[in-house]
Amino acid sequence: MNKLKTVMSAFLTPPLLALSASAAAAQEMPGAAMAEQSLRPYWHVFIAYAIAILLVLGWVLSIGKRLKDVEERLGQ
Amino acid sequence: MEISGMRKAGTALTVVGLAGLALVYWLSFFWVSTELSQGVAQRIFYVHVPAAWTAFLAFGISALCSAMYLWLRDERFDQAALSAAEGGMFFATIMLTTGPLWGRIAWGTYWTWEPRLTLTLLLWFIFLGYFMVRSSTENPEKGKRFAAVVAIVGALDIPFIHVSVLWFRSLHPQPVVIRPDSGPSLPGDMLTLLLTSLGVFTLLFAGLFVLRYALEGLRRELDVRARGAAA
Repeated sequence: MNKLKTVMSAFLTPPLLALSASAAAAQEMPGAAMAEQSLRPYWHVFIAYAIAILLVLGWVLSIGKRLKDVEERLGQ
Repeated sequence: MEISGMRKAGTALTVVGLAGLALVYWLSFFWVSTELSQGVAQRIFYVHVPAAWTAFLAFGISALCSAMYLWLRDERFDQAALSAAEGGMFFATIMLTTGPLWGRIAWGTYWTWEPRLTLTLLLWFIFLGYFMVRSSTENPEKGKRFAAVVAIVGALDIPFIHVSVLWFRSLHPQPVVIRPDSGPSLPGDMLTLLLTSLGVFTLLFAGLFVLRYALEGLRRELDVRARGAAA
């Protein structure tokens, strides 16, 4: 289980860095009028991608935890 | 396959799937071209569509296994149906949350009661009912049978979701990949990324489905031991 968590953290870091880089790129867009309206699509993409990875990881962790619990009970 | 073998296979598939998901995210942000009319918001497409495909696949497998369970009364089919339905709910939730985020930019609204959205939400609620029916009966066997019927009824909704954009006036675009009269209308790099993402989501579902099925196998073993100890 710990090994799985380590592997998942390793895979989670690059996409999160990529998402941060994308948000930073959005802030660098030229023009003073480039405010909330222009950044909205970037935020929506960021949130959508975050939801997808969080739900997938949530299911992974949920299954891992339940497997561990059942195995402990079987061990007893 | 033994449960330990299933655990290893499921873990391996899941790890490869997670690595693939990281690759899809990287390609989506740094490689694929930006669509002209919708701009950066179109990138939601690469998680929204694969999540939809995986959800429909999962619900379809759940319905198929449920039908087999009703026919053969083999517990393994019920376990597979339950595992697939749980995966379907996760991927359908991804589809139903990422879609409105895209819709707000593309259509100017998070939600509208157009046929495809309405039918998809109905599918989500039907499978929510699947879990409620399972746990609401005093007799577990009865609950499994009722839930199997709910899964089959729910899966009947899937073809209607697919053809709804052809039959009714819809805000959703016409199919851009599966078009019988001509080939896909997507540019090459977008199609490549979409197909990669479809493969990755399917792989992730396969890995997690196997792990979830192994969990049900262990629970069954636990039940058998508990019954043996009680007797």
